[in-house]
Amino acid sequence: MIRTLTIAEMTLRETGRRRGVLVLLLLLPLAFYLARRGDHLGQSIRFVCLGLSWALSTAALFVGSAARSLEPRLRLSGYRTHQLFVGRLLALWTLGVALSLPYFVLIRFDQNDVRYGAIAVIMLLGVLVAPLLGLAVSALLPRDLEGMLVLLTVVGLQMILDPAGNAARVLPFWFSREIGTYAVDHTSVGYLDRGVLHGVITAGLLLLVVAVAFGIRLRRRPHVRFVEV
Amino acid sequence: MRHEIWLAALSEELRRHGVGPDLAGHVVAEAAGHLRDSGEPPLRAFGPPDAYAAAVADSVGGPAVRAASGPVRLRAVDIVKRYGKRTVLSGVSLTVHAGQVAAVVGANGSGKSTFLRICAGLVGAASGRVEVHGTLGYCPQSGGTADFLRAEEHFALIGAGRGVSRQAAARAGARQAAALNWTPNDAHARHLSGGTRQKLNLVLAGLGDPDVLLLDEPYQGFDGGTYLDFWHEVWRWRDAGRSVVVVTHLLNQLDRVDVVLDLSASATGVAA
Repeated sequence: MIRTLTIAEMTLRETGRRRGVLVLLLLLPLAFYLARRGDHLGQSIRFVCLGLSWALSTAALFVGSAARSLEPRLRLSGYRTHQLFVGRLLALWTLGVALSLPYFVLIRFDQNDVRYGAIAVIMLLGVLVAPLLGLAVSALLPRDLEGMLVLLTVVGLQMILDPAGNAARVLPFWFSREIGTYAVDHTSVGYLDRGVLHGVITAGLLLLVVAVAFGIRLRRRPHVRFVEV
Repeated sequence: MRHEIWLAALSEELRRHGVGPDLAGHVVAEAAGHLRDSGEPPLRAFGPPDAYAAAVADSVGGPAVRAASGPVRLRAVDIVKRYGKRTVLSGVSLTVHAGQVAAVVGANGSGKSTFLRICAGLVGAASGRVEVHGTLGYCPQSGGTADFLRAEEHFALIGAGRGVSRQAAARAGARQAAALNWTPNDAHARHLSGGTRQKLNLVLAGLGDPDVLLLDEPYQGFDGGTYLDFWHEVWRWRDAGRSVVVVTHLLNQLDRVDVVLDLSASATGVAA
């Protein structure tokens, strides 16, 4: 546990020192929120949740990419593979909660007649899923630019596709639109249930991708045998 | 230059050149006696301290080459590596015992770094096998550090992996850094010069006292004095019974290592 927490601590320290990135992370969802606040309050809530998820997944992508050259050395130093990615996820989840909290407070005091509990659920699921998506992309694509393009495509499609269509359901943040509809338009609880189920399954699948991708990349090669002395 | 300052500098340079404390004390005492009796300024009598120390070290030779006596710590057998159709390593073998220093030499592109990475298990081999007896420390040629972390945080990070407490890792890191004539401060790794960053890399490789140290041209960016400090540290590791493998293209230290693996000729080599 000490190793996992050390990775989490150092990831937070590194991320905390990228002040410019932190400011952008904080402001990006605000831009999403303000873009539709004037004409469509409900849409601005959906957009801010999507903005938070995008900001977090981007942060996770860069955290994953920055750690790439260090991780083989950490493995040789005694870290297990799961300690590396779980430690980074703990840090990113902490960052996600800290990032989401001001926006929840903003919505709580800026919007009326919405289900605040459901909005909290969207944000928590976003905090859960977005770092997993970013780390998965960073594990599969070695270069930042490729990863950024993939994330951009995902979020762009998420905004363009009709959420009622089947294609939208395979996107990682579909739960955000579904629960958002429940929260803003006061639809039936079925929207909430489907959204939560989608978020949990997405998180599970992405965790599997992260574990497998990290496991392959940082595996012990079969030609090497370590003998204890 | 005053006698005392010159003699202190000579003492430090002798240490850097790997001259043992007894002999160094004797050389310094003799030099002090000569300066006292002759009344000559030290620079006129002996020249700069580093040059005189180098001459003394050359005349007495480096640490003696050690025969294989301790247990095997690293054994690489018939390593073959191909990139596509190009064979980089063909049946390369190396055995290093406890208390030995091995040098892997060869021209650019001869597969030195690849061989070391195969020994560390960082890349796969087409065939062959590697046995590592004990724990492994690895110093890459570049990278291997986190831009936004301080030196002490690197020590804590690597130390945690090796099961060393944070305080102990900080102490060990500071001690090893001092041996390389470096005092870590609060600077982030991204603000360190290339040479200092490599010192950090080297210190991280040695943290937790691994049994086998694989060092991939770790002296990139070192100045002359630090280069000597590096070899001094290598010999200290050797004296402590560790096995050290150094990838190098600088041949002037080869008479001071115990095993040489030359990959320059045909990417085939055997050394034991």
